[in-house]
Amino acid sequence: MLEELNYLIEPLYETLFLTFVPLILAVILGALIGTIIFISGDNGILDVEEKSFLKTVHVVFDALVNIFRSVPYLILLIWLLPITRFLVGSTIGTNAAVPSLTLSATPFFARMVVIAFTEVDKGTIEASKALGAGTLDIIFKVLIPESLPALISSIAVTAINLVSYSTMAGAIGAGGLGFEAYQYGLIRQDPPRMLMATGIIIVIVFIIQIVGDVLSKYVDKR
Amino acid sequence: MIELKNVCKTYHSKDQEIKAVENVSLTIKDHEIFGIVGYSGAGKSTLIRLINGLEKVDAGEIIIDGEDICKLSERNLRQKRQEIAMIFQHFNLLWSRTVLENIAFPLEIAKVHKEERLAKAREMAIQVGLEDKLNVYPSSLSGGQKQRVAIARALVLNPKILLCDEATSALDPKTTEDILDLLKAINRKYHLTIVMITHQMETVQKICHRLAVMKEGKVVESDTVDNIFTSPSHPVTKELIQTVDTGVDVIKLAKELKNKYPDGHLLRVTFDNENSEKPILFEVAKKVDVPINIVSANIKNTQAGALGVMYIHIEERQDIAMLLEELNKNDVVVEVV
Repeated sequence: MLEELNYLIEPLYETLFLTFVPLILAVILGALIGTIIFISGDNGILDVEEKSFLKTVHVVFDALVNIFRSVPYLILLIWLLPITRFLVGSTIGTNAAVPSLTLSATPFFARMVVIAFTEVDKGTIEASKALGAGTLDIIFKVLIPESLPALISSIAVTAINLVSYSTMAGAIGAGGLGFEAYQYGLIRQDPPRMLMATGIIIVIVFIIQIVGDVLSKYVDKR
Repeated sequence: MIELKNVCKTYHSKDQEIKAVENVSLTIKDHEIFGIVGYSGAGKSTLIRLINGLEKVDAGEIIIDGEDICKLSERNLRQKRQEIAMIFQHFNLLWSRTVLENIAFPLEIAKVHKEERLAKAREMAIQVGLEDKLNVYPSSLSGGQKQRVAIARALVLNPKILLCDEATSALDPKTTEDILDLLKAINRKYHLTIVMITHQMETVQKICHRLAVMKEGKVVESDTVDNIFTSPSHPVTKELIQTVDTGVDVIKLAKELKNKYPDGHLLRVTFDNENSEKPILFEVAKKVDVPINIVSANIKNTQAGALGVMYIHIEERQDIAMLLEELNKNDVVVEVV
């Protein structure tokens, strides 16, 4: 019985790879972009003379996030093929799905970061400024710690999104459980195997969500 | 010393201009507790934020110890803010940090070494009476305790000035009293200059030395607490003070007394520090031989002494001219209600 499941080990590994590698990249890039959008907004965190420059930065990054969030993943995958070839050296296989998965998760996470930072009490930010905090102090000592529960939940949601997007990466031969389920279900008409692959996806999603919830609750001292 | 010279601040919204602070000039001396009072929307919140540069002036100068803070670069302003601490109505603590870490926060910004900052923070926590709460999170503290953390956090860098933005407005009367006592003690111990804004005249009366009254962005009156309480000149000031004297607003009280005593003369007599300790009313009444009836009386203790407000009723047939004259001779302020 267990040997029968051997066929799922490779796809499981691929799914985990396609979830967590893009996740790490998207969290780093998304946090950066989200922070840029937030601090360039109208909240007085950055004290610069050139208000119009700040506004331009805000509008441009905000628009980019909106654009890339509206492009369907499969289209993004195709758009990115030339860049993927340059970055990964190939347009097919598991590694080739990483750039497009990253690019689809980054704007999503960036938006979540903006929302999380917006929820931070304005009074706390003001108090920190009054105590002499600079922009970097505010980002690292106020915004991130004070929005940590929301940020952790956002990471979990982004990871779950990536699990589901990784199925579509099967289109360029990335593999993964989702594509396995699609193949057994639709092409080979083998419902038990399809359900097995789907079941493992569900288990992965549950684990991510539960870990996210527990961690988020743990850091929340409100 | 803090000097505000012709300070203006206007906010622009889509279709209107709001003059939050209009041509304000004030001098706040070293080591004094200075109150800025006014109803909400009077511009006092904006004014206090101009002093530490959280808001930028449109015109005018703010000179702190000989330095115009409006001309400072952002970097220098941040440095300067370490000398100008601030506490808030809603405390504004970081919920993600323990009490000790919150108090150490300004030291962390000032890049003080970890051991040193924790030691200093611990010392400060003891000063404000929180030695048994060092490792708890703010969410489990009461309002008064939260404000104590905020005060410790504000004082940990040894600032010269403490700005209080409605610091007791969210607290119950007992806790307010405790926090005001703490501020008073701090003022004495550290020779700190305290600037506080509030809409509660009681607060000012209890701890301030001098005060300014604001209305629609302008300072309408500014003097020692004693002078303002004994002889307020602007209607807004009178209104604010009488809320303190009676616990209810003045118009209501005068009306109530007038209803109760429709005939005869109703006088409001105000004693200040100088004459509140002498039996003036008794002596005057005896001298002019007019029977008086005290219908309402209130004595308040301020920083500089006592202040009494009394309503007296005299029957219709009596001549009050002599009485008024005698009271005036004794420097007592009398008004016919």
